[in-house]
Amino acid sequence: MIFGMWDGAFFKLGPIPVDHLIVTQWVIIALIGIIAYAATRNMQLVPKGLQNVFEMAIVWTYEFFTQLMDEEHVAKKWAPLLTSFFFFILLSNYSGLIPGAAHVEGFQPPTSNWNVTMSLALVTFFAVHIAGISENKLHYLGHFVSPSWAMLPLNIIEEVAHPLSLTFRLFGNIFGEEMVIAFLLFLAPFLVPSLIMGLSLLLGAIQAIVFTILSASYIGNAAGKGH
Amino acid sequence: MSVKTGKRISFKRSIVIFLTIIMLFGFVSFCMAAGDSTLPVSAPGGETPAFPNLYVIGWSLVNFLVLVALVYKFGYGPISNILEQRSTAIESSLKHAEEVKSEVEKMRIEAQANLAESRKEAQEIVAKASKAAENAKNEIIAATKEEVANMKTKAEVEIKAATEVAKAELKENTVILSMLAAEKVLGRTITEADHRQMVQQFVNEAGDLLC
Repeated sequence: MIFGMWDGAFFKLGPIPVDHLIVTQWVIIALIGIIAYAATRNMQLVPKGLQNVFEMAIVWTYEFFTQLMDEEHVAKKWAPLLTSFFFFILLSNYSGLIPGAAHVEGFQPPTSNWNVTMSLALVTFFAVHIAGISENKLHYLGHFVSPSWAMLPLNIIEEVAHPLSLTFRLFGNIFGEEMVIAFLLFLAPFLVPSLIMGLSLLLGAIQAIVFTILSASYIGNAAGKGH
Repeated sequence: MSVKTGKRISFKRSIVIFLTIIMLFGFVSFCMAAGDSTLPVSAPGGETPAFPNLYVIGWSLVNFLVLVALVYKFGYGPISNILEQRSTAIESSLKHAEEVKSEVEKMRIEAQANLAESRKEAQEIVAKASKAAENAKNEIIAATKEEVANMKTKAEVEIKAATEVAKAELKENTVILSMLAAEKVLGRTITEADHRQMVQQFVNEAGDLLC
């Protein structure tokens, strides 16, 4: 165990080791799944209660991603993925603020580990190229040599830089925040960390928004008519 | 000093006092932790998690794709469906309303046409009735006139007959009176035949004047 974090398997599922943060991921996924199921299990043509809120939220995400990605059909296609990014990252970030995080076994904020943020960035990386090819077919590959063949290495570096920047931005912010809170808890456990925890609420939301918007922007660019 | 400024200063002072208390608590808890031999007195090293951990990457990818599937299955899928259903329902309602509207318009035009036709028919009926009444009136007047004319003719005939009878009676009486008068004047009896001849002559001459 490193400072405030476990860095090893919690248990083994057959031959596959399961880390503490994987268990936390399961809880977060179950939570999102249960809320979504509860909201949509009894859909009515005339909406009521939670269905109203969900409908408004989903229509809002369509409009928001359409503004970011220019094309409505692209936004509608990728909105579930982007929304999943947002809620998964948001809840992962906030999970570090719940008492017991990194103290109760199996409870570790997932986004404070760069293996997890790298996984999310890899999803974005593949989504970008899938969107580009599905919308522009083979013309999409042309952007690697745009405006000339000489730019090929730089364009490849740019494509690799996107997921790397997503990985390190999210990991760095959340890991850093967790470290600061843990250090303050060590130094002055009474009331002092609450100030930083309050800031962390803002930071967690901002990081979730930034990751989602950047992913939407990359996917939108790849799927755009420019390619 | 205004009340507003005073409130602002007292609010700032409260914040400073609050933060001081927090820092004091922090300092005290730090001192207590430093005095406790069971707790680590130095901050632990901030090692970063091992990278790459392929198991964590693999699990995270699987977990995240499961989450996307759940979000699509229970979030976007049903809501997109219901939005589409609602849109279809609204479209069909609007279409139905349009159909009903056009039908109502058609019925209104038909009703107006019927009304106009009914009015025309009513006017025709009234005109026919007026004409029939006029005809009946004319017939009645003509019949009455004919009857009156007949009655007049009949009365004239009767009057003429009665006049003739009266004339004849008057002539007869006049003859008799004249004979009686002549007998008295002459003092003798004249024969019947004389008298008759004389009177008849007189009557014939004067009779027309009397009548």
